[in-house]
Amino acid sequence: MAIPTPRDVQLAVVDWLDSRFPFTEVVDESLTQRVPNYANAFYYCFGGMVFILIVLQIVTGIFLAFYYVPDGAGNPAPAYTSVNFIMNHVYLGWLIRGIHFWSANLLIVMVVLHMARVYWTGSYRAPRELNWMVGVTMMFLVLVFSLTGYLLPWDTKAYWATSVTIKIAGSPPVIGPIDIGGWTKLLLQGGPVEGPETLQRFFAIHVFLLPALIIVLMYVHFRLIREHGISEPL
Amino acid sequence: MGVDPNVSRRTFLTWYMAGLMTATLVAGLAPILVYVWPPAPPGQKNAKVKATPDTPLSDLQENDAVRFKSPDNAGFYMQDGGGDNSKGDIAYSGYAVKAGSQTLFFAVNCSHLGCSINWVKDKTRFECPCHGSRFSIQGQVIHGPAAFPLSHLKAETQPDGTLLVDGFIQTPGAS
Repeated sequence: MAIPTPRDVQLAVVDWLDSRFPFTEVVDESLTQRVPNYANAFYYCFGGMVFILIVLQIVTGIFLAFYYVPDGAGNPAPAYTSVNFIMNHVYLGWLIRGIHFWSANLLIVMVVLHMARVYWTGSYRAPRELNWMVGVTMMFLVLVFSLTGYLLPWDTKAYWATSVTIKIAGSPPVIGPIDIGGWTKLLLQGGPVEGPETLQRFFAIHVFLLPALIIVLMYVHFRLIREHGISEPL
Repeated sequence: MGVDPNVSRRTFLTWYMAGLMTATLVAGLAPILVYVWPPAPPGQKNAKVKATPDTPLSDLQENDAVRFKSPDNAGFYMQDGGGDNSKGDIAYSGYAVKAGSQTLFFAVNCSHLGCSINWVKDKTRFECPCHGSRFSIQGQVIHGPAAFPLSHLKAETQPDGTLLVDGFIQTPGAS
């Protein structure tokens, strides 16, 4: 049998697909964008790095969920022992969790650098204000990601760090009949004390709510960039 | 077979690049596939565990005892028991004693609350450091609070002075 030429593959696979949906056209359109020279400066890369790190977070997070048990009841609780299991017994588990942990740290750094660049080059100005707002919203989402993810290992550090967080969030005063702090505390804890219920809702927020929100907002962010083009320097 | 002279440079380079990209993809995905594979659960399998006494058994005098330990990944099964010990319990050390031209093997655990007993050579008896129980060289209670004799281990003496003790070996895996 003769070795198939690129043309054979083109006919058998790509043309077959393209005659059913214009894949080549769609991919070409999204990939062939001219990048202006001023956008080749290194500080225009931070946003892309944030994107790559978020993709890494999603991939490694999915695989951590293969073994993680969000159950904080008992001593030691399954939440703690499952993280321990990932770190010490699952093949390459230390690697997957290590990537998740360190890219989370790097993500914050890159978000701050990206934001600083956008501010420095004045890229938030008209007509891009909406994209700035979306970006700031995503920055808060990333911070909530970090906050909720910190509790999940369910060790002493995680527990007491979250305890401090909840106390701070619960510090607003009572105004008339409205106990703002108390209600906030109750909402975060999911009960009268910080316990397995707290872990359960932090887990749900960390792996279901926030990823859904941030993926939608990332799509909006990128569509808006395509709409406006990369902003020119001042 | 041989080199097909009709393969163009373009075809060769295309497949070369495709091969490289596939290899890169596989190298990237391999750790994830390895990760997804569940690790084996912890296990024990029954075995005759090799134990080396502190001094060779052949040097063991009449009315004397010598201690032996299990390897790190293994343990011994008690053959009988009473009080805190029962048949099938795990012991990680034992004593071999020579009494009446007969060699006996005991688990190290006191039958009161499981402390490790000591051999007192001067008095030819075992003493428990926790609550003062004493046992004869035959393993019988001389003094309480223990109320039951020492548990036996089942062991075979090897020609090289080591022992093969009935017990278990841990199989590698997760815990």
